[in-house]
Amino acid sequence: MSTDVIPPGKAAIAEQQDEGRESHRQSFLGYLLAKIGGAAISLVMVVILGFFAFRILPGDPVRKIAQSRPMTAEQIAQLRHQYGLDQPMLAQFWNYLTNIATGNFGESYVYGKPVSELIAQYFWPTIALTGTSAILAITLGLWMGQLAAWRSNSPYDQVATGTSLVLWSVPTFWLALLLLMIFGGTLHWFPTGGMVSTGIPTGTPEYFLNVLWHLVLPVITMVAVVYAQYLLVMRASLLEEMSADYLTTARAKGLTEDLVRRRHAVPNALLPTVTLVFMHIGGLIGGAVTVETVFSWPGLGKLTYEAISGPDTPLLQGTFVVFSAIIIVMNLFADLLYRQLDPRVRRA
Amino acid sequence: MFIHTKQKRLGLASALAAGLAIALCSATAIPSYAEESSPAAASSAPAASADILRIATSGFVDSFNPFTSVYLLPTNTFRYVYENLVQYDAESGAPTAGLAEKWETTEGGLVWTFTLHDGLKWSDGEPLTSADVKYTYEQMMNDPLMATANGSLVSNFASVEAPDDKTVVITLNTAQAPNPGVEIPVVPEHIWSKIDNPSEFANDSAVVGSGQFTLEAYSANQSITLKANPNFWRGAPKISGIEYIYYTNSDAQLQALKAGEVDLVTGLTSTQLDGLKGEENITTNVGKGRRFTSLQLNYGSVTPSGEEYGTGNPALKEQTVREAIRYAIDIPTLMEQVLQGYGTVATSFIPASFSEWHLADDNPVIQKFDAEKAKSNLEADGWTVGSDGIREKDGEKLSLRLLIDADDSTQQSISEFLVPWLKEVGIEVKAESTDADTLSSRTLEGDYDMVFSGWSVNPDPDYQLSINLCSSRPEADGSGPTTQDGYCNPEFDALYEQQHTELDQTKREDLVQQMLALHYSDVGNITLWYANQLEAYRSDRFTGFTLQPSDGGMIANQAGYWGYLTVEPVADAAAATSGPATGLWIALGVVVLAGIVVAVIVVTRRKKGADTRE
Repeated sequence: MSTDVIPPGKAAIAEQQDEGRESHRQSFLGYLLAKIGGAAISLVMVVILGFFAFRILPGDPVRKIAQSRPMTAEQIAQLRHQYGLDQPMLAQFWNYLTNIATGNFGESYVYGKPVSELIAQYFWPTIALTGTSAILAITLGLWMGQLAAWRSNSPYDQVATGTSLVLWSVPTFWLALLLLMIFGGTLHWFPTGGMVSTGIPTGTPEYFLNVLWHLVLPVITMVAVVYAQYLLVMRASLLEEMSADYLTTARAKGLTEDLVRRRHAVPNALLPTVTLVFMHIGGLIGGAVTVETVFSWPGLGKLTYEAISGPDTPLLQGTFVVFSAIIIVMNLFADLLYRQLDPRVRRA
Repeated sequence: MFIHTKQKRLGLASALAAGLAIALCSATAIPSYAEESSPAAASSAPAASADILRIATSGFVDSFNPFTSVYLLPTNTFRYVYENLVQYDAESGAPTAGLAEKWETTEGGLVWTFTLHDGLKWSDGEPLTSADVKYTYEQMMNDPLMATANGSLVSNFASVEAPDDKTVVITLNTAQAPNPGVEIPVVPEHIWSKIDNPSEFANDSAVVGSGQFTLEAYSANQSITLKANPNFWRGAPKISGIEYIYYTNSDAQLQALKAGEVDLVTGLTSTQLDGLKGEENITTNVGKGRRFTSLQLNYGSVTPSGEEYGTGNPALKEQTVREAIRYAIDIPTLMEQVLQGYGTVATSFIPASFSEWHLADDNPVIQKFDAEKAKSNLEADGWTVGSDGIREKDGEKLSLRLLIDADDSTQQSISEFLVPWLKEVGIEVKAESTDADTLSSRTLEGDYDMVFSGWSVNPDPDYQLSINLCSSRPEADGSGPTTQDGYCNPEFDALYEQQHTELDQTKREDLVQQMLALHYSDVGNITLWYANQLEAYRSDRFTGFTLQPSDGGMIANQAGYWGYLTVEPVADAAAATSGPATGLWIALGVVVLAGIVVAVIVVTRRKKGADTRE
């Protein structure tokens, strides 16, 4: 799991050591520019792919509408014109590119609003859900992971690792529905969907509590499904450190096992973990699609899900580009952070 | 080493702090977002009370503009918000009074004169007159943008006049028997004429209407709030409002009903409905639907100008083969197995709930399941059984592709029966499972032999009949009009023209029956059944829904507005729970407890660690 991240780091170290102290500043700038350039190229590819991928897909939004209500040929032609579907593909592509350069993703067929406006609206609920889940999952995963590694093969390790793996293997929608049925439908402890009950004035403490109440089940689902990857990464990377000489030194100084772990082993083990954490945040946002769909959470995931059934091409393009951009930025951040965190690199 | 450790810790701490900051920012940003999208909901804040009917929905909303909105949920909402000139009644969907209390036709159906009720008022108290009707219709007739949604309903209008406040005269291009006053929401001129760009008006808050409810507020993907309109000409409804609440999937809707978070759920599957039986406080309703499910056969895709396209098996052009397929399918058993009996076995494509139009079960053209007859007819037509049990003629095997929507479990189960049944009579069926979009584009291109289809039919059959005309077939590239199955029979077309102008109801019914019989004996499609609409509601909170058709019909998705007109709260109804209940306090308790435990551990460890210096 960690192999796909280590190479850039290791390469960077090698590069540093070869070039030595003199060229450090310049090469860091070069590294930065190369990484940012790479991310920018990825983003451009995503933008181009975003257009063609959803054009290749079959499905005609106008026909779909015409299948469900009386429409004359003129009305169908009118809708086609309104959606810009009567233009040649290349003209549509050119429009798409020129619009996107100005931050305009076009207008959603279904919502009849600018896609950028919709994304801005649905962005914050998704951030609230994935942000909370990410923090909980990372904290829980890393904490349990280092304990599991320290006492590897103990009953605690077996139970913790086993449980996390089982939850990781569980299909997200199944777990979500199960929680929904037990705690929503049967026990009535939590709401069965949505972000806030209707009729609560916004901005009040009551509103905040109500959102929190609605947040519980989706967050539990997301945390349960993803914390295993943090646990496993932390466990593996701490296990690698466990036989290191400096731990023997630390023990020889008379430190307690607990302090050896917390002050010496864990910080070093965190190094590869932190980069992975950021890479996984991208995946977490993708996972929001399922959770938001089951819990009717009005976020980007649900927006994407509904755009697919349209098919609402401009909206799909928009969410696709935004999701991809988040992942690209997170990966870029992971690359830069790794360099920053690794003392060998910083001191070189 | 120590220094590094400290710095790394600092790094992790700042990363976590950044994460927390994001979460906090977004948490504070949510209210402002909601505030933007639903100002009315935020300000008026009606608590979920005993007389607000809460309905679960997952429907798309493009806008609440009755001129441009094309999705089902907003279109249905218009039925409650805007009264039409003429309504469909609850009993059988026959035309009945809307804004117009009566109407008459002259010149053989060319001129329609409607007389409005006395003292009609908009929900804001302004008088509702024939000028509003004229204004609405003319918007659609003169501006193609305003005709996006309902242009087909006024395409035959030559002029609309309002000689006095109570009279509307519609002159048509060609005479027609179907009432032209149905289905078009009439909007208030005093509001709409002041809007600069009416085709782009969202119309989603504080809407002025004439129906039993007014649209109060809309929050995308969260809720739609309707409020009772005391000025409705039939009198205000007995509930104070309706709230549509968004649930993305039907399992969540079902759980919400069980939990008492919504009062009405519709579009359930038979398994879901059966699971609700015996549930306290919940009543189920098995309503006769107005949708047919059919097996569409590709008997040669042809454009109106006679150009053939597509890959349909030529064998399907033979009536004997099409009939044999119908003989081989035991529809009653299929319906029992697939729908658990929640439906009505079909004859033709006008559902049984419209009893005056529906092709009667005892019509002489009706074929009953008879596998032996299928075999002997095929045999007589030269289709002989080959060594592999599949019939062939002139070296061509009788092998058909059946397209299945992979997401539709009903289609999957039907095909599991069809394949062996047709094999039994010597027809090979190759089921091809694919996604809905591929399926619809392949159907459009004529690249199929058989596919499942279905339409929701309106009380007046004219439109449904019209999409079976030769002229309704699209061009090979999919442009042009819409067809039901690509059917074309000049005799059918001639009958259509007759019924279209036949003002005598009995004679028109007879003509429609003839058309359906003709379509049936041509095997224009194989209509399987009219599925029931399965619904459930909280009977501890509401009672008295009006069904359409009134005998065993449905509550939601009516071609009318009767469902919620008579519904009333149960006398000692439990007030709905809307706030955080036990759950939140349990969750908060757990969080606080966990926090305390962590704090205690950290403190004790610090104490221990303080003694140990490196």
